[in-house]
Amino acid sequence: MKLERRQFLTALGACAGAAAFGSRAFANAPFVVPTYGGTWAKFWEETLMPGLTKATGIPTQLDIGLGKDFVSKIRAGGDQAPYSVFMGNENIAAMLRAEGFFEPLDMAKLPNAAQLHDGLVNTGNNGLRAIVSPIGLAYRTDMVKDAPTSWTDLWENPEFKERIGLYQIGNTGAQLFLRLTGKLFGSGDTDFDTAFKKIQELVPFTQASWSGEVAAGLMRGDVIVAPVDWTEIMMLQDKGAPVAIVAPKEGVLAFEQSFNIVRTGAMKDEAHAYINYLIDKDVQANMAQAFYTSPSNKDSVLDPALAARLPINGPKMSEIIRFDWDSYVDLAPAVTDRWNREIG
Amino acid sequence: MIAATRKRVWWMIVPALVLLVGFLVLPYASIVVMSLRTADTRAVYGEGFTLSHYAQIVTDPFIWGIVGRSLRMGLTVTVVTLLLGYPVAYHLANLRSRWASMLYIFVISPLLVGMVVRTFAWMIILSNNGVINGALKSLGLIERPILLLNTPLGVTIALIHVFLPFVILPLLGNLQAISPDLAAAGRSLGASRLRTFLKVTLPLSLPGIQAGAILVFVLSISAYVTPAMLGGTRGRTMSVLVVQYLVDSFRWPAGAALAIFMSAITLAIIVVYLRLTARAMRRLP
Repeated sequence: MKLERRQFLTALGACAGAAAFGSRAFANAPFVVPTYGGTWAKFWEETLMPGLTKATGIPTQLDIGLGKDFVSKIRAGGDQAPYSVFMGNENIAAMLRAEGFFEPLDMAKLPNAAQLHDGLVNTGNNGLRAIVSPIGLAYRTDMVKDAPTSWTDLWENPEFKERIGLYQIGNTGAQLFLRLTGKLFGSGDTDFDTAFKKIQELVPFTQASWSGEVAAGLMRGDVIVAPVDWTEIMMLQDKGAPVAIVAPKEGVLAFEQSFNIVRTGAMKDEAHAYINYLIDKDVQANMAQAFYTSPSNKDSVLDPALAARLPINGPKMSEIIRFDWDSYVDLAPAVTDRWNREIG
Repeated sequence: MIAATRKRVWWMIVPALVLLVGFLVLPYASIVVMSLRTADTRAVYGEGFTLSHYAQIVTDPFIWGIVGRSLRMGLTVTVVTLLLGYPVAYHLANLRSRWASMLYIFVISPLLVGMVVRTFAWMIILSNNGVINGALKSLGLIERPILLLNTPLGVTIALIHVFLPFVILPLLGNLQAISPDLAAAGRSLGASRLRTFLKVTLPLSLPGIQAGAILVFVLSISAYVTPAMLGGTRGRTMSVLVVQYLVDSFRWPAGAALAIFMSAITLAIIVVYLRLTARAMRRLP
């Protein structure tokens, strides 16, 4: 077939028309909600999104991935971010915030935020931590004689030697543990010299990229003790695995999902409505039931049996050890590099 | 008439050109530009351009150590898959049985399972309490488990498993194209089976060996999921490090430089390999 210039121009015009139609369609696009896969995606799809649409009338569309994927998409989106809301661990959110991608929350649009536990709204309303998954010390009940009670047991209990699992530095869990180690043994959570020295004492240990990998190590028995989140261990227990998790006496760490308004997002009102719905007391209680997070809303009521399995709830939320991630942004590349070279 | 034909030919290569430019040239160009950006912890990248990321990479023994490990692993996987795959391909090429199709399915079976699922299976097999260590322990051959998981050896074993079909299939096509009359002629002239194989079949199958080896080498050193899940820190490869820079640490300029550096090394090795094998193949009858 011979394509004449006139035909080519006609085709080009048709493409332009289609593009224009596409942009009009975009104006009525649903509110895109980024979330994680697995249990999270199931809960968002089956419970959270229908609930949000019913409560607010906002049509939604899920984008399932990892917090790091959302970062890349927001960065690559530049002035036209694909999301109006960001969900990710606070240390990752702090980086995007430092790069100028977020704007402060409009608290007038978030009435439920008044019921959040202390420490969950960032300074200057720069994001809030809506979903809290505490991290304790998990262990194999059939392979450990003396259950851990303190973070320092990782160094002091001889039966743990060479059978410890830790997150690798790319995971927020490793950065939390590193800073905790500095705080426990050194002058503070940014005493990285002490932290690296102490963590080197635990070598060799199994490094895991995410909680599922820690769980797999525990199930295989290669790992008998590991800092890991309650969600992972409760799910293993539900499957009958011989594992338990304790809150160390010094306090617990936590994966805290930070929610932020993306500065260049097109649907900021919807983003506020979504965050407000997410921190509703009933939604938080449902979430705890579905995947064992600790409710961030003070008014959430947990079933007594569930509350017994999730000791970090209500007033105990104050036992969560938190760090300043905004100032850590400048240190992060060097810390990661040092972990790779000194820990492996 | 000739001009019109040339014009038609030109239009025919346009789709391929668009694909190449859109999905190879532009992304590579964008990565090269990113690798020349300055680093900034308060922005995706800083102002201006620099060669400092490349300078840091080429002068860093830590990076060279991981490059060396990646290349060693890629080379080992390539050699072992060739040694294991050649007899299988040879056998399949000469098979005149109705079970041949079943054997084809066996050959491609590693590719029928998803990468993550397959790697999880290897975790179970290679772990301290896994199938291999369990069997050796129950046979009384070892007291303490052999460390297979989180080692380069574990990654190498798993990569060999998955990339075996990539050697067998090109070799099979090549071996099937060799006329059986040539080997028969060799035998009729008094050559032994081994001599016929070494002097006739093996040289004629060099193009298949060349293609399979390149495929497996490139796939091995760029593999991510298997080294990330089975390698731990002792089996960390360049692809894992690049992802860590780009995705875990969000250091796009330094990560892009690392990716380009690894691509350049791979390309250089392939060019040398192609030249050497092309020289060997030119001597073929």
